[in-house]
Amino acid sequence: MRKYTLPLFFALLAPALACGAPSPKLVIPSFSGLAQKATESVTITLDPALLGMAARFLDSNDPQDAATKEVLKGLQGIYVRSYTFDKDSAYQQADIDAVRSQLAAPGWNRLVETRSRKTRADVDIYIMVDNNQAIGLALIASEPRQFTIVNIVGAIDLDKLHKLEGQFGVPKLDIDTAKPAPAPRKQ
Amino acid sequence: MSNEIESRMRAALRPVAPSDEFSQRLLTQVALPRAPQPKPRRSGVGGLHPLAWWLTASLAASVILAVGVHQHLQQQRLQQSGLEARREVVEALRLTSQKLNLAYEAVKSQSRSLTDEQSGA
Repeated sequence: MRKYTLPLFFALLAPALACGAPSPKLVIPSFSGLAQKATESVTITLDPALLGMAARFLDSNDPQDAATKEVLKGLQGIYVRSYTFDKDSAYQQADIDAVRSQLAAPGWNRLVETRSRKTRADVDIYIMVDNNQAIGLALIASEPRQFTIVNIVGAIDLDKLHKLEGQFGVPKLDIDTAKPAPAPRKQ
Repeated sequence: MSNEIESRMRAALRPVAPSDEFSQRLLTQVALPRAPQPKPRRSGVGGLHPLAWWLTASLAASVILAVGVHQHLQQQRLQQSGLEARREVVEALRLTSQKLNLAYEAVKSQSRSLTDEQSGA
């Protein structure tokens, strides 16, 4: 009986550890109430199968498509929720906090935090790093009449994302991918 | 009475040997080569009845057509899904880049005001 105790212990421990491991995929609420109030809403859910399918329809001879294809390599999912309203404060901060609280979990590091009084736009960019490789990216942008949540899952190559600059209007962020990400700042 | 009739009939139907001329003609006919017999006409391909043949051909054509149409529709659906996924990827990256730009502009204006403050001091 004793010889089975140790394997049994590890067998029970493994799923518990797996459950505890941070996942770069966020649980994004349905925001069904907001979708009804919004004048424009964007809901994009791209799992690995759909990403693979999209990649097949990107033309390698086209520079923009080729750059997009490079970015998609290694990605396991792209999830976007964006709502635009016709008046200010149409959404509650609590709506976003459900997502923001997940980013306080270990593994997530805040890369950029901007608060603009002029445009009243707040943008938070989080990144999850594993073995010096970004495996997840989360972006929360809240403006008076719009809020957007982006969650990219998979091996994100920030250099490749840089290459999209000028094609999708991706700006050149001063992100040094070689440096370790800053320590997480709890909310 | 009946015996008379019977004997008259027997006399009338008595076996008569054929004449030499008749035997000669018969033997000549038997010795002649036979004309080829006309073959029975086949009605359809492979000996099938024309209706059965047309039914089989129509069925086969229908099956081929159905498979072709199904494959074409499946290909079309796949292409539509692929194009839709591609559109979503482009839209997702466009939105991401737009928000990254927002952050970049905020960082840039912040660093510019810091530089202005430092140069003013």
